[in-house]
Amino acid sequence: MLWIAVHLPALSLESFAATLAADVQTRPLALIDAHRITQSNARAAALGIKPGMKRATALALAADLLLGAADAARDALALQSVAHAALAFTPSVCIDATAGVPVVLLEVQPSLRFFGGFTKLLQRLQAALRPLGHRWQLASAPTALGAALLARWRVDLARGAHSSNCAALCRLLDEAPVWLLGPGREHWEALQGMGLTRLADLHHLPRAGLARRFGTELLADLDRARGDAPDPREPIEPPARFEQRIELFARADTAEQLLVGARVLLARLLAWAAARQGRVAQFTLVAHAEARQRGGTLEPGRLDIALAEPSADLAHLQSLLAERLARWQLPEPTLDLGLVCDVLVHAPAPNAELFPSHRAEREGLTRLIERLQARLGQHGVQQLVRVADHRPERAMAWLPVRATAPQLQRHQAPITGRESATLTRPLWLLGEPQPLAERASRPCLDGSPLQLLAGPERIESGWWDGALAARDYFIASTADGALVWVYRARLPLQAADGGGWFLQGRFA
Amino acid sequence: MADAPADHELLHPALWRAHQLGGNRAAVSTSGFPALDAELPGGGWPHRVLTELLLPHPGLGEMRLLAPALAHVAGSGVEGGRSVMLFDPPAGLSGWALAQLGVATEQLLVIYGRDGPRGAPGLRRLLAGADLLWALEQSLKSGHVGAVLAWLPLRLRADTLRRLQLAAQSHDGPVFLFREIDARLKPSAAPLRLSLACAGIDRLALRVLKRRGPPLTQPLVLALVPVLTERTRVRAERQTAPVSLPRDLLAHDAH
Repeated sequence: MLWIAVHLPALSLESFAATLAADVQTRPLALIDAHRITQSNARAAALGIKPGMKRATALALAADLLLGAADAARDALALQSVAHAALAFTPSVCIDATAGVPVVLLEVQPSLRFFGGFTKLLQRLQAALRPLGHRWQLASAPTALGAALLARWRVDLARGAHSSNCAALCRLLDEAPVWLLGPGREHWEALQGMGLTRLADLHHLPRAGLARRFGTELLADLDRARGDAPDPREPIEPPARFEQRIELFARADTAEQLLVGARVLLARLLAWAAARQGRVAQFTLVAHAEARQRGGTLEPGRLDIALAEPSADLAHLQSLLAERLARWQLPEPTLDLGLVCDVLVHAPAPNAELFPSHRAEREGLTRLIERLQARLGQHGVQQLVRVADHRPERAMAWLPVRATAPQLQRHQAPITGRESATLTRPLWLLGEPQPLAERASRPCLDGSPLQLLAGPERIESGWWDGALAARDYFIASTADGALVWVYRARLPLQAADGGGWFLQGRFA
Repeated sequence: MADAPADHELLHPALWRAHQLGGNRAAVSTSGFPALDAELPGGGWPHRVLTELLLPHPGLGEMRLLAPALAHVAGSGVEGGRSVMLFDPPAGLSGWALAQLGVATEQLLVIYGRDGPRGAPGLRRLLAGADLLWALEQSLKSGHVGAVLAWLPLRLRADTLRRLQLAAQSHDGPVFLFREIDARLKPSAAPLRLSLACAGIDRLALRVLKRRGPPLTQPLVLALVPVLTERTRVRAERQTAPVSLPRDLLAHDAH
């Protein structure tokens, strides 16, 4: 077996800082729990703020220190997303937070061949972790606990500590300090008093005495880490539905202020989609109303984003979301942002192509349309559909582009009479026929009389659907020679005033 | 002075002599009218640059002029062609007429900026001019569209056109901008500008206002796909006085 351990040393601080605006992130930050500092960022540490320090002391050291409350639930959600990102590489992923330090463990031995070896797998794992915005420390070992210990211990190594067999792992672990083990931390002072600082010192002592003195837990952990005892782990499973909420640090009054928080959620959404081996087809951003107003009947603001083509591309989803957020009117100020997704598409992703091809262009076009629709609305980009109807105003239908090409084909009426050499229908059709004045029994357009050149062509249709049209169509020419399509309504009730002449279209 | 190279265009495709037609290296789409192709630099509608068409009112035959090029871009089937995007056309489009002109309707994408009688139903909100130009710029930049036709708002600023011209450089296909005829007096970043006018029934007079090459003194008269049959047309022309070309089309104005 080969386990990779992903240790996230600053997970709580990063999950707190993720929703902060960029200018705030450069300030010294610290998390407090029960009036004591639990974590601090580099700026704060440079000012001398250490974990365990009292809140008042920390504030005395740095007046502009930004304090956030530690939140175990928030950390758990962030850790879950890291585990989801890892699930893309192996089905057996587990979360180890026993020592109070978040570690995600992956059993990768069966996946090595598929991903092209350990180094390649490690690179891809790191690429998958990057969008989540956490710092991590990797280590690998034949045992799960051994890998976790190495990842937590050797934070000084850039690439992490890696050992492929048990003998090498035991040699590495011999040097590890005893406080790494969970029980070792509890008995730290006693162990130190006895001169036992390394795991090797513990290992060489008589087991019976050690068990009597410190309990069996310490020995059991040591055995599991060295591979002397079995260490069964329960793999996690991604939920069937993605639903996460994060609290924003500052109240958001406009939709644009949600963008930072929404990006965090989007990265987590894609980690979940990767764990479920699917691509996102649609998702909903939910802006919950502020807590003190929630007592009323306030509905949370919802922003539905549906994609024409399912996607797992973070940059594309981010740009779509940014366009939509820029247009969105936030109903209520919000402190709480949620993201819900329950539609995943499990079809295989299309292949990326080296040279520009027809399909790559189609895909690019779909993305372009999505971008345009995100800003202009669903009806902003439309497609023309021919309908088999004689009435010109009903012969065309407009559909918002959502349907992919094959569906559109079904609606499209087949072309007939194409063989004629002349153009029989005008290209520009007025949505509403424009009434024309009549002078000397000739219709007038813009004050000058039209000359009827061809016609009449009688169109009488629609008695069955209540939009009866009984018209005589003529092709007429204006003074400068442009051709227009006019008709004379044959029913007296349609010919209210004038001679019943209407302009229907122009031959462009 | 040393001998000048015989062919300047061999040095760089952007170089040409003032009496020659330039730009013969760049990709073009044939216009479908041999007489027009002969006058256009490169022998067709240029790709990656703006082409401005100035016309007094819609419905002169401008779409019949562009139809062969659009039919070529859109191809015949769904799989074969590239898409054609129309931005804010002045009226509803008839798919039947397009089909008669040989343009595949399936490839058409239309962005309407106007509501009601001029636009399509379902679009309640009017799109602001800025939104329309944004959409146009994005579509040109993406490079995934085959051809773009845009009816621009009146009184466009010169820097907007320059922006579009920059965006068009990544668009491998023709870009047609329709503008009001008065815009001919204003400078424009488009390297090819034509003004259109009716020259009788099913005839279109075309004047090249600006191109990479020598100025064209005579307007070009093209026979379009006819609306009337030959017999009707002859009869109609006998009835009406011969249409004289509009004066502004013949006059030489500075630009």
